[in-house]
Amino acid sequence: MAEDASLSLHYSRYTPAHEDCYVHSMRQLISKDLSEPYSIYVYRYFLYQWGDLCFMAFNNHPQTPNSDSAPPMVGVVVSKLEPHRGGPLRGYIAMLAVSEEYRGKGIATKLVRMAIDAMVERGADEIALETEITNTAAIKLYERLGFLRSKRLHRYYLNGNSAYRLVLHLKEGVGSIRSLDPYGPPPEHIPAAHPHPHPPPPLPVLYENGG
Amino acid sequence: MLPNSQARAPTTRVTSQSVVPRDITEKFTQAASRLKTGQLVKDEYFTLFEAVGALEIMDPKMDSGYLGPEEDEQTLDDDYDVLRDLTPEQVVGIMDELLCHEMAWHMGHPLSQTLFTSLYLDKLLWPVPRIFEDTHFGRGRVSGEETGSELVHIVLRAYCLGLVKCCDFVHTRVTAEFFYEEEDFSTQLYNRTLLSHFDNGLFCNLLDRAIFWIDDQPAIDETLRSAIKARLEFRLKFLLGLQQDINIIQTRSVDHFEACLSLLPSMQQSSRAGQPVSEAFSWKIQRRLASTVPPRPMVTISLVDALAHIKRLFHDGIHLNQVLDYQGPHNLRVAIWTLLSRKPQPSVYIRSLTQTIIMNKSIILGAIPVKQFLYDELGALVLPSSILLEASLDETEMPSDPRFQIAQLMDGFVRRFSQPFVDTFRSACLNRCRIRRTVCHTIVDWDNLQMEAEDLDEQLRVLSGEPPLELPNGDTTYAYPLSSWTYHQKLIQFRLILQLGFELSIYAPEELPGMYWYLSHICSTHLGHIDRIRTFIVSAAQRSRLSSAKRAQLRKSFLLFDRLTTQIVAIDAFAISLHALYVLLSRHKILPTASSPQAYSNDKFRYELRMKPFLSITLPELVPYDEYHREATLQGDSDEIVLERATKAIGEARKAWEATLANGPFLEDSDGEKLAAPALAEDWTRDVKDTMRACIGASIAIESVKKAILARGSPPTQGTETPPLNLKANIPEAGEKGRWHNWWAVPQVLQVQAQSKAKN
Repeated sequence: MAEDASLSLHYSRYTPAHEDCYVHSMRQLISKDLSEPYSIYVYRYFLYQWGDLCFMAFNNHPQTPNSDSAPPMVGVVVSKLEPHRGGPLRGYIAMLAVSEEYRGKGIATKLVRMAIDAMVERGADEIALETEITNTAAIKLYERLGFLRSKRLHRYYLNGNSAYRLVLHLKEGVGSIRSLDPYGPPPEHIPAAHPHPHPPPPLPVLYENGG
Repeated sequence: MLPNSQARAPTTRVTSQSVVPRDITEKFTQAASRLKTGQLVKDEYFTLFEAVGALEIMDPKMDSGYLGPEEDEQTLDDDYDVLRDLTPEQVVGIMDELLCHEMAWHMGHPLSQTLFTSLYLDKLLWPVPRIFEDTHFGRGRVSGEETGSELVHIVLRAYCLGLVKCCDFVHTRVTAEFFYEEEDFSTQLYNRTLLSHFDNGLFCNLLDRAIFWIDDQPAIDETLRSAIKARLEFRLKFLLGLQQDINIIQTRSVDHFEACLSLLPSMQQSSRAGQPVSEAFSWKIQRRLASTVPPRPMVTISLVDALAHIKRLFHDGIHLNQVLDYQGPHNLRVAIWTLLSRKPQPSVYIRSLTQTIIMNKSIILGAIPVKQFLYDELGALVLPSSILLEASLDETEMPSDPRFQIAQLMDGFVRRFSQPFVDTFRSACLNRCRIRRTVCHTIVDWDNLQMEAEDLDEQLRVLSGEPPLELPNGDTTYAYPLSSWTYHQKLIQFRLILQLGFELSIYAPEELPGMYWYLSHICSTHLGHIDRIRTFIVSAAQRSRLSSAKRAQLRKSFLLFDRLTTQIVAIDAFAISLHALYVLLSRHKILPTASSPQAYSNDKFRYELRMKPFLSITLPELVPYDEYHREATLQGDSDEIVLERATKAIGEARKAWEATLANGPFLEDSDGEKLAAPALAEDWTRDVKDTMRACIGASIAIESVKKAILARGSPPTQGTETPPLNLKANIPEAGEKGRWHNWWAVPQVLQVQAQSKAKN
């Protein structure tokens, strides 16, 4: 994972100021890389609420110092952080993509580390994500960072592929933090006693039984 | 990667008659013009679920009405004429392609990407035909116009309608049972019906008529004639087999599926005579289906795969017949788990059918009331000679009579425990991932059930006047039969969670020593528990004079204990051996590791995460990390001791698995008769033999490590660096070559060239 001398990579946190060009390149990168199609709303959902947990990699190659167009985005990670079913503060890595010709240079690892570091700074208890079971590169990456496969999800994606849920505990005792009863009524029907101004309802897309 | 799928499930919008529409276009445009790009307007109820479910207008991937300028398709409609003449070759080709789509649907793909891409089916199903006579390809045309050539109208129509009705039966069965939408099956019908409102006889008549017609067509080439006939006959038999459905409990007939099986080879062979008509299928139909899903590509599977899938369906369906003879819960458990653990796993239709057969309207296998089922289990395991199970047989109606009170308490137990107990059988019908996830949750319920059972046990022992048993240390204790049984169930589930973890490749290589240690820990706990149960049964039997019938029951219980003990000893010994082997591999840095030293978590965090399903369980108690770490690494034991442990345990394991194999899968019933389930017995035997192969694999690996350690010589003096073992470990994944059994991750240990500097 040595840095390539011919590359001049730089990483930065997402800022809404350049939303136009960022989101466009992000979508291009991700739709090429990931099998699931996402609407613009999915990006907005994450970037609007957790833009500070989104990190991007650019290649400032000396040969393309074009000042009026942004340098090409070669990697991106999109994530969020919120209490999971009223329990532990859970980070979630929704999308990670690195442009094909830039793989194997540690860009993805760097991006994920930046996202995790930002989550740790905000007091995250744990981080979760899913990845296709055929995506061994991604699984290896996350496992190197200390994630474990907590369960396997049968035919999880639209293309019929199964997934692993990967989880990382960042503190001791996270497993014992009480969350709401997964079989109980959804949180929006429970009288709000939340420190959070608007407790987000559980995420049906994650579709897990509390695990 | 964030999944989309679950957000795509159909949602129902509540519309009310009293809603008056109002044009807000202008207001909306005005408001929207004040927003900057990227600004998000959302209320607190806008969740990720909505974001993922949203469709983007004018995006070709999401907008089903959008046609790109560069797209060569000019229209959203197809101009294929379903009344066109077809050659016999084309009819065969269309039939085979329909079968492929049908099986793709069975495998879990939605109708929109499979069968509903057929323009022929589209014509028959939309608009929904109100009378059966409407189900023809010429519908919607001015009356008097033809319905297509006879080959199309008589043959292809009958085949298509028969196929739709087959799907109707499958859809009805699956949706009547517990399954996971999109994981196991896509139930979406897009506001169409699978003609469930028409009697099956109508479909069979059409198929009969078509078979009769094709027989009488000398003008059609012999090969093609018999190819078409085989497909029609197949469709008819399949339809009849599916119509039988759960009535197999009464009929015990597998004739229809047998007939289907016998037709498959000729269908496979004659498929070469067919000529595909790809224009008869179009993904564009999706745009007309009532759905929030953007158009997705057509799913294509090969005929070979389709035939293999349906062949398994017939085999599994036929062998399902072998679980129907009731011979007690133990035998049923073995039969069900054996059938449903087949690889590949039986299809969702078979799994749904099995669920219904296990229990329907509180009756097991269509014959045994659930109370008797539960009592049989208790009688075999914890109460072979107890008054508790007999109390309800009495006609005592005196509320003050202890027998009356016992009967009442036991009825309460049955009400509370029968569903969870039956669910331990039904959970075998879930997909493998879900079995593990489900058991991770039910184990918590069983922990609570155990507490309730304990409470009942205490009340019951007062009523039954159970004398205490004195322990060697002078303490006294009681049998606690109901909670003992509950604990036994829970320990089975513990083991299942661990073993399915191996099957589903959940564990990282560095977790393997610990997980096998944990498995052996659960096994030895279980063995101790079975001993306890046995002790109480023996002492109860010694206290009273038993009738010969009761003595026979007692003997049967002891036989069952012996079986259970042998099998758990076999698992325990194998786990101990693999634990020791992995400890050596880990110590000598031969075991690959997934996590890096720069990881964000440590062993302790990871242990806690791995134990998460068990954190809230009261019994068996969670092993604290420090103790786990000591045990899992065999701290303080020299390589020689660990080697010795591995070698001894694998020898024991091999003996115990031999004994298990000799015992066979099923217990004899009271008349000395064994359950006649040859196909399942064969599967069970294969499974045990695979385990024994895994044992041999482990023996070889242990020998390799032993040799390397011996060759390296005695440990060097302190301060000098230990030379590396020059071994490499490869752990085949479940399903890979070299992995003898899914539940046993046995490493292949290979010699490597000595390196001057060991790579870490």
